[in-house]
Parts: sequence; C-alpha cells; structure tokens
Amino acid sequence: MSPVAEAREVVLPAVPGLGGLYARGAAGAARLAVDGGGKRVSRPLPDVVYAVRDLHVDAAHLTAYQRLLGEPGTDALPAGYVHVLAFPVATALMVRDDFPLPLLGMVHLANRVEQRRRLTLGEALAVRAHAEAMRPHPRGTQVDLVVEVTGGAGGDVAWRGVSTYLAPGLRLADTGDARAGDADAGAAPASERTPFTPPQPTGSWRLDADTGRRYGAVSGDRNPIHLSALTARPFGFPRAIAHGMYTASRLLADVGPARGAAFVWSVDFVKPVLLPATVAVSTRPADGGGYDLAAWHARTGKPHVLGSVTPLP
Amino acid sequence: MASTRDTSTPAPAAPRAAYVLGGNRIPFARAGGRYAQASNQDMLTAALDGLVARYGLQGERIGEVAAGAVLKHSRDFNLAREAVLGSALSPTTPAYDVQQACATGLETVVSLSNKIRLGQLESAVAGGVDTTSDAPIAVSDRLRRVLLDLSHAKTPQQRLKAIARLRPKDLAPATPRTSEPRTHLSMGEHQALTTAQWGISREAQDEVALRSHQRLAAAWDSGFFDDLVTPYRGLTRDANLRPDTSMEKLAKLKPTFGLSLDTPATMTAGNSTPLTDGASTVLLGSAEWAAEHDLTPLAAVVDAEAGAVDFVHGVDGLLMAPVFAVPRLLARHGLTLEDFQYVEIHEAFASTVLTTLAAWESEEFGRERLGLDGAFGKVDVDRLNVHGSSLAAGHPFAATGGRIVATVAKELHRRRAAQVAAGDDAPVRALVSICAAGGLGLTAILEAA
Repeated sequence: MSPVAEAREVVLPAVPGLGGLYARGAAGAARLAVDGGGKRVSRPLPDVVYAVRDLHVDAAHLTAYQRLLGEPGTDALPAGYVHVLAFPVATALMVRDDFPLPLLGMVHLANRVEQRRRLTLGEALAVRAHAEAMRPHPRGTQVDLVVEVTGGAGGDVAWRGVSTYLAPGLRLADTGDARAGDADAGAAPASERTPFTPPQPTGSWRLDADTGRRYGAVSGDRNPIHLSALTARPFGFPRAIAHGMYTASRLLADVGPARGAAFVWSVDFVKPVLLPATVAVSTRPADGGGYDLAAWHARTGKPHVLGSVTPLP
Repeated sequence: MASTRDTSTPAPAAPRAAYVLGGNRIPFARAGGRYAQASNQDMLTAALDGLVARYGLQGERIGEVAAGAVLKHSRDFNLAREAVLGSALSPTTPAYDVQQACATGLETVVSLSNKIRLGQLESAVAGGVDTTSDAPIAVSDRLRRVLLDLSHAKTPQQRLKAIARLRPKDLAPATPRTSEPRTHLSMGEHQALTTAQWGISREAQDEVALRSHQRLAAAWDSGFFDDLVTPYRGLTRDANLRPDTSMEKLAKLKPTFGLSLDTPATMTAGNSTPLTDGASTVLLGSAEWAAEHDLTPLAAVVDAEAGAVDFVHGVDGLLMAPVFAVPRLLARHGLTLEDFQYVEIHEAFASTVLTTLAAWESEEFGRERLGLDGAFGKVDVDRLNVHGSSLAAGHPFAATGGRIVATVAKELHRRRAAQVAAGDDAPVRALVSICAAGGLGLTAILEAA
C-alpha cells in the first residue's frame, strides 16, 4: 500500500488563489527562520493529501491561456493549462504550518507531466496533491509536489504532474522521514552534468519584458521574481525572469498536435530566462520517438530549458 | 483493367486541354518606389486592363477571374471581383479570391485551368498582386479585443471595464511580418538554416543572382517582354533589375540572414529577393474559345502537384516542399527531369534554387527521402530560369506565379515553333516550381501548344 493512501485528506472548497498563498508563504518563511534558523530542515513532510473536487474550467480563461501560449483554441485542455489549474492545490499544502520548507525562495528544478488522456472543457475535474521524496541536493533540499487530476465520471487519473522544487541552502537533517528519496537523491539533473551543444534551432521566441506579467495574469502566479526588475532584485535576479512553466508550455505548444493525446512531457529548468530575451528553441523529433525540447540563450548558447515529449502507448 | 468494377458507371472522359493564351503584368517596383501610393486593387486592375487591351477583351464576359494577394486588407475580401468591376471586362464576369502564400498566382492558374479542362469554363483570367508599400496595418490584438468587447458591452460598467484593460503599448500598430507564425523565424532565417544544412556557398548564390539579372536584362533588351508587360505609373521595366551588377559588387554586400548560426552567413540582399510591389495576369482558355477569339494557344497546363513539409519540427527546410512535389508530379506522367527543355524554379532566395537542385542531385536524399533508387536528377543551368527570375525581377508574392507562367508559355510556344520548323515534332515541356510560406510548394507541368 502506498503511503499516500493512508494519508489524511484535506478537502478544500475550491482551488485557492496563489496571491494569498504567497502572502502566507512569506509569513511561513519568517516562522521557519525563527524556529529552525533557516539552515536545517527539522521536520518530515506532512502526511496529508490536499484535494479539490468538482472543479470546472472557465472557457474565457482557457482561451486566454491558449492565446498566450500559442495552443490551438479547441476544447482540449493543454497539459500546461491543467498545471495552471491544479498546482495551486499543491501550493496550499506547501504553506501549511508543518510543511518543512519555506515556499518563498524555492526554485523550480524540473517538471514531469504524464498525460494519460486528453481532458476537455466541460469535464468536472478533481485534483489531489501531496508532497514526497524530500531529499538532499548539492545546493539544498529538494522535494517533489505530486498533483493528480481526474476528469469526468471515470475517476481514473488522466493527468499526473511531478514538480521538483529546491529549497536552496537548507540541509536535510535525519528526520526519519518515511518518504525520503532513494539512493540517487541529490544527483544533479542530467542537463547540469553533460555540456549542452545547441542544435540547429527550429524556431525563436522574442520574449518582451512583460512576459512574466502576462503569464502571471493568466496563471495567477504573480511571484515578484516574474513581474519586474524592481520586484525581482530582492531575490537576487537583475531582471524579471520568465516562469519556467511558461517556457516549458511554449515548447509543448511548439511541438503542437504531433504530441498526441497521451504523452510524458518532461523538462529540466537549467538557467532562468532574464526578460526581455531572445530565446532559440528546438522541437526536433527524438531518435526513439517523441520530441526533444530545448530552449537556449540565442547568443551565448547557454541552455534555459531541456526536456522531451514522449508518446504513451 | 478494372473488370471487377461496376460497368454501369461510365469511365470519365479524359479532360480536354486548357491553354495559356497570353499574359500581362505591370513592371515590378521596389517597395516604397513608383507604386508606393498604389493599392493591390489599383495594380491588379491595371494589369487586368492591360490584358484586356492586349487581347481585345473589352466588354467580354470571361468565364471566371481568380486572383489573390498575400498581404491583403480585410476590406479587400472581394479583391478579384472589385478589380473586374474596375476593368474594361464585362461586369457580368464572375470572380473569386485565392490565397496560398507565394503559390497564390500559380494556384489560380491551376484551379482555373482545371475548370476549363472539366468544361465548366471556356475562358478565365488568373492573377495575383502584392504590395509591401501599401501593406495593411492592424491594431494590436489586445486593442482589437478591447474595441470588440466595447462594442458588445451593454452597460457603462462593462465599457469602463473593457477600457481599463488598455495599456499604452497596446496602441502600437501591428504591421504584417514575414516570419512564420509557428516558429517566429523569418523566411530568410529559415532558408539560412537550409542553406547551412546543404553547405551552399556564398559564391554559388551570387552566381545565381548575377545570372538572374543578366538574363532578365537580356530578355528586356531583346523585346521578349514587349507583349507581356504594360507600363504603369511611369515604370517601364522591373525596377529591381541591375543589368550592370557583377560578382565583385555582389561580393561586397554584407550578409543579412543566418548571422547567429555557427556556419558563415552567406545570404545577402543581393542573393535574396527584395520586397516588391506588382501585379500579373494570365489569360486561359479552351481551344474552341481561343479559335473563336482569334487567339493562339501558347501552352497547355498539363498537371500540377502541391506539397508541404514539416518545417515546424525541423524535419525539412521551410522552402523545400517542391523538392518532394516534383518527383510525385513527374512520376504520375512517367517523366524525368531530362524530359523538360525548360525549368523554372522560383528564386525566393538564390540558395532556394541551389538547395532544391542539391537535394535532387543527392543519391542519399533520393534514396532515403524521395524513395527512389538514387538521385532524382540534374537541371543544367542552360535550362534553368532562362529569362531570369525573382532575384532580378523582384517578387510581389502573389504576382510571381503569373509572371512565371506567362513567361514560360511564351517561351515554350516560341521553342516549339522553331523546333517544328526544323522538322522535329517532339513535345516541348516546362516544369514550374514555386516554394511558399508555411512549408508549402506548388509545381506544374506546361507543354507547348
């Protein structure tokens, strides 16, 4: 039996707004700084699943997302859109008083989405989110936020997202966490180990300075690091940075309908995109099927996002 | 034979031939030049009126006119019909608009000649026009959305809410771009990738450009275009033509595309087509209609094949669709490249011509991508774009197809006449290949009448 099945379920009346969660996250960071000195993780992950039932998609919101990302305006929900809908449920879990890592300052390292079937407008969605695999990382402590979305009456999981976050500078103490990661935990993602050689681009993005504000307006993620140079500077960024999921979702949109209805969409966020920016991209067919995804700095050739889309049988 | 088929269904009769009877265009101008104040409708009407005058069609009810423009104002929803109404043709001449990027002009020729072949039409005029000087400028998407929501708003609150969404930068106009909507790369940047992939040299590209200018200049000097072009707005020759250009002059130009690639940039303003304004028309008809009007069929439009490539995922270059379409077209007729006395490959860029030829000459490409036993074939320079092409004439997108078809038909008829006079009755054929945005290509076979 998986530990998740035993976990306590907290049913939220609706998907919470990210703005309020960030405010609570800021308060939580202050709290953690007081009781743990902010250097050491002193608690295991809470044994809890957050859930939202009967979630309905607003057509105008879907349209705004599709326009912004370059997805076709059909009734199919793009995999990145489902993330926008559902991930705030995981964020709500991350601002619990007993969540061991501070929300603010967390870095999105990687994201893996398994879309088992296409969700469509009109389906009543149910979201479940939990955290697992808190494990050491060379630069701190990382954790996976797992979000599962079911649609319609069937009840099977149609969409499963695993978002890997890093809490920089925090060392993992022996918390006896039953959900701690396995032996390879702490290894850097492949993209950080092998040097990146840019392929011939298949396209290019011109990202204006307001890219973060525009994705923030659609996704609800108005983290100050994405909004303006002024609000990003306190967090160590000289300029606003693009949302990782914006870049990942644009790569998915660039692959287009060729990705099929069922696929695994996996990305590593290597280096943030400082806005404004010109980003070179490639969405070439991969040797073993599917598509290799890459977005890199057009001039320096340094990678921003690397990943793949692989069809599911 | 299909002996098992239902014999009550009669086999379709082989369609009759559709002929190119003539053509007329206005000289092509550089963007912002002589036609800076002319609209698409102005230029198309001028080209059409020239055709009417040349072939005595005043007051004539033509079967159908089809024409298009790539950069089109939304008010020009009936561009072809409006040009007809402004021309000396009978106002009872029907018309429709076509748009297939740079293949627009050739597609009008193909679809109208098919209607003639089927007996739906006796006569037709194909055409195309484009202006980059009078290009449509739209409001930004966000301003447009606000304006539309404003017009749908019922209460002052809804109106205020719509207006409140406006940001100063939304007021900036949206000008048409030549970049591909899905890749955001310009056509030149796309072709630079293909050029690098095939290792096409700067010198080879400049040679193509030089030859285009020399040949177009020779054709003008010899009077070849005298019955194919009507002067307009004081312009009597293609304004982009540089009869005195040279390899030295072309070599001095700085590269403009492919600057961020890890291979040397080779594409310049000299070996790429400039933005151009212009219009062209082609007169098509059945043999009967031609005879009734005392017109000479120049060439039959035999067949056509469209193609498309997956450039979005970088599988093939943006402008490489004709590379695949031509082998399919020729296979359908049991022909090889050797069977064509004359080949027209639209010079979107000099390197487009060269990458097309390189792919056809490649054993590996022929085997792996075209499914052939080896290379598709070769086209010698003396058979290729013999009167120059778009690098010299310019390329008003939708007008290029009509320019090429009228030029080809006249040349085919001339060669055939000379050949018959020498006692040789063999067919004289031309192949036309036009690449287009969106990874499209359109190719056609014409045969001298």
